[in-house]
Amino acid sequence: MQQIREDILDFLRAQSFMDNDIHFDDNESLTKAGIIDSIGLLELLDYISESYSVEVPEDMLTPDNLDSVQGITNLIIKLKDERS
Amino acid sequence: MQILDEFNKDIDRLSMDLRNFIKENVVDFRKKGVVLGVSGGVDSAVTLTLCVQELGEENVYGLLLPEKESASSSTPLGAEICESLGVKYEEVPISPILESLDIYNKKDQLIKRACPEYDPEVHKTSLALPDFLDGGSINVPYIKLAKDGEIVAQHRLKAKDYLELIGLQGVKQRSRMIVQYMYAEQMNYAVCGTTNKTEMVLGQFVKYGDGGVDIEPLADCYKTQVYALAKHLNVSEAIRKRPPSPDTWSHYTSDQDFYWRMPMHSIDQLLYAQEHELPMDVIQENTGLPEEKIIKALKNFDVVRKNTEYIRATAPVFTLNGNY
Repeated sequence: MQQIREDILDFLRAQSFMDNDIHFDDNESLTKAGIIDSIGLLELLDYISESYSVEVPEDMLTPDNLDSVQGITNLIIKLKDERS
Repeated sequence: MQILDEFNKDIDRLSMDLRNFIKENVVDFRKKGVVLGVSGGVDSAVTLTLCVQELGEENVYGLLLPEKESASSSTPLGAEICESLGVKYEEVPISPILESLDIYNKKDQLIKRACPEYDPEVHKTSLALPDFLDGGSINVPYIKLAKDGEIVAQHRLKAKDYLELIGLQGVKQRSRMIVQYMYAEQMNYAVCGTTNKTEMVLGQFVKYGDGGVDIEPLADCYKTQVYALAKHLNVSEAIRKRPPSPDTWSHYTSDQDFYWRMPMHSIDQLLYAQEHELPMDVIQENTGLPEEKIIKALKNFDVVRKNTEYIRATAPVFTLNGNY
């Protein structure tokens, strides 16, 4: 879980306009904090698909699952578990 | 307080003030009239009418700028309002410009990547976002395939395909801008824009496309106010009843489907409430929405406004400030 969280943080730092030194709460809204926008969200979905070989189904495209580091981490773990 | 009443208030005075704005700016720019892209929609119909009332029909030139994917009703509705106001107009299809840049072919290939069953001979296409008030607050766009007017499939886009698609689609509005300036400079006219406040606030226009104009009379009027103006100015019912749309997809895609993600009256009332910092009970009473959805919508506006700052911005200039 910690590795996934770190990967997500690295992805957000690399793909978004985030300052590398910025710190934020794992439950903070990424859209409201301006860390991710609508294009960033699509990039995130592509990243999840390519890095973890899982597709996020329509009914999981919710703010709870995709708008915070904690939510994204939990979602990936859940999708990986379902796959295996 | 009724927000919709505020939108309908003083429409006669608003109409006169907009006319004065048009005249003052055309004179200030030392231009002899205005060129306007007439789409068959309500914004251009209202703007055209105000320009004709203030400048006279002999100083206004209408351009109908359809392309292969425009709705079949757009050109006849545009021609009809130009004729009813006695405005000279011309139809300049922009499809050859788009074809010269291979836009349609590139768009077909891209849609095929996202939707393997796509057949350009069979399907019409549109781009849509999930309804905001219906629970879908995640902003994931879908390509929809329609057959005989019915949606038969929808697929999510990859980020790079979405970005390419936005670039391809923007060539439509930017081609129109090029044609409008070609005519405006030839006639020594100004280009008059038709963007309204709802679009301006949400960044719902193409930078240097429909946003590439000399004056924007309607840019501080919410879309609901534009409809009130349209009624006041006797714009035809056919234009007033047409769902507002950028008209850039072969399957007619309304502003509600892609930009607003909620009905026009809801979005305008919420934007107005945010602008005027109205208390929650007044917003609830006006919109009929629960507090939780109102808070989500207002926060979403903040995000959209921030994400679209670039579209509204003019190019920042580095000033020397006498230091060099």
